[in-house]
Amino acid sequence: MAERRWPDHLDSVVEEFDDCFDSMERYELLFEYAKKHPSPLPPDEWNEDNQVHGCQSRAHVVCSRDELGNFLMRGGADAQIVQGLMSVTAMAVNGMRPNEVSQFSPDYADAMGIRNSLTPSRANGFLNMFERVRAEAERMV
Amino acid sequence: MGLDIKAIRADFPILDRVLPNGKKLVYFDNAATSQKPKVVIDAMSRYYEEYNSNAHRANHTLADEATTALEEARSKISRYFGTTPENMIYTSGATEAINLVAYGWARYNLQRDDVVVVTEMEHHADIVPWQELNKEKGIEVRYVPINSRTFTLDMEAFEVALEGAKLVCVVHTSNVLGIRNPVEEIIEKSQAIGARVLLDCAQGAPHERIFFDNMGADFVAISAHKMAGPTGIGCILVKPDAMAEMGPFMTGGSMIRRVSTNGTTFQEGHAMFETGTPRIAEAIGWGAAVEWLSQFDMREVHAHIHDISSWTADQMLEIPGIRVFGDPNHPKSSGAVSFLHDSIQSQDLAILLDEGGFAVRTGHHCAQPLMDALGVPSTNRASFWIYNTLDEAQAFVEHLRYVCERFA
Repeated sequence: MAERRWPDHLDSVVEEFDDCFDSMERYELLFEYAKKHPSPLPPDEWNEDNQVHGCQSRAHVVCSRDELGNFLMRGGADAQIVQGLMSVTAMAVNGMRPNEVSQFSPDYADAMGIRNSLTPSRANGFLNMFERVRAEAERMV
Repeated sequence: MGLDIKAIRADFPILDRVLPNGKKLVYFDNAATSQKPKVVIDAMSRYYEEYNSNAHRANHTLADEATTALEEARSKISRYFGTTPENMIYTSGATEAINLVAYGWARYNLQRDDVVVVTEMEHHADIVPWQELNKEKGIEVRYVPINSRTFTLDMEAFEVALEGAKLVCVVHTSNVLGIRNPVEEIIEKSQAIGARVLLDCAQGAPHERIFFDNMGADFVAISAHKMAGPTGIGCILVKPDAMAEMGPFMTGGSMIRRVSTNGTTFQEGHAMFETGTPRIAEAIGWGAAVEWLSQFDMREVHAHIHDISSWTADQMLEIPGIRVFGDPNHPKSSGAVSFLHDSIQSQDLAILLDEGGFAVRTGHHCAQPLMDALGVPSTNRASFWIYNTLDEAQAFVEHLRYVCERFA
């Protein structure tokens, strides 16, 4: 089994997806997660600088430190599947140390059973978003 | 005699494909690329297995066989398009074909302020080369708008734009809307004022026979991979008097006659524009594809595709929230049905359709000026071809309805 590189507090989310009856139920759950992004970036803050390029949908990410100096990712996307994956990612990385975020792997999306979410052409919005988060975290280290 | 769709489907091994999620593939992304019949795959494999060699370059047996096959393919393809081999230049596809007109004809023949007319319906490949020549040579690019109610070209605006034009560039059939433009009228009116005409037939050629010598256009761009042929090859068909006005676009390889330190002389005719090593396997594959297509009456093929696309569009419009762009019921519309749901984003919808095994395209379809005219950033597009069936369309509509009810 491949080494798992997502934080422990994401286990319950991964399990929730793993328990779904089929892929459509998983996508339905992901649409639910899209609505509960812990640190959303509203569309009026979307701009060229924070746009994640190379995806079919629009996705925007802003990374900073919170008041404790920990990582804070804000994000928004017009596609609910990308937005849902963004929510889960924010739940994972918010509050972590930037050096922990820079070591983070996107494997949780596959573990959640979001089929092909890591292929270049599919949810490339997600992968590009993930790489941007990781790169921003590296810059903060 | 009607089309035997069951027999046609048997020629395409990929149509039996089962996707990783266990769903059977339903391929509705034909405007992006068609699937390939086994005869095409076999012809290309046979070349690599039995006589792979560079063409035009040596006297050994394999080179001779490869050269013969390459030129036989040119004969078959040009005959299929109602013209002769000397009027056909192999390119990498329709994009390179249009660029060849821009850089091999327009750059030599147009001056500052000369007018090139294009339409809002064009693929980027038929817009950007003209914008680049605007920057380089100062040509004027005029855009013919679409009527956003009928999704057709505004022909009154076309006549205004046409005044003083030197070149008119029009897509035969829109890759987004499936609208077939009145190319006969456009050719007649353009040539009446002495303008040359370039038709982008990348989408038109898979849906109706193009008879180049009869249709009157000066340049016709065609892509093989949308009409059962392989990727990486296409052609530009050029009238002899227009070809006589062309100069080299790219240089090197088989377009060379003699190079010395004092300079270079070039081959004449189509050979002047075919640089580097020819696309031998691809040409052979495309030759096999047009032979395969030749067994069908393309009017029957069009009618078959039209039945599926118009039925599908009508059914889609019954689903709350779905908008259809184009006029799929128009008798000349062909194959592509673009649509959007008002609350399910297009990429989400495409992924949810794929979960059911349905391959559709999502995005701006390399036609962003058209997206701007439609007032949307992207569409979903189902596009149909010869091997698709009404049963597939019914299953598609059923799944679309299910997705819309569950996720809207």
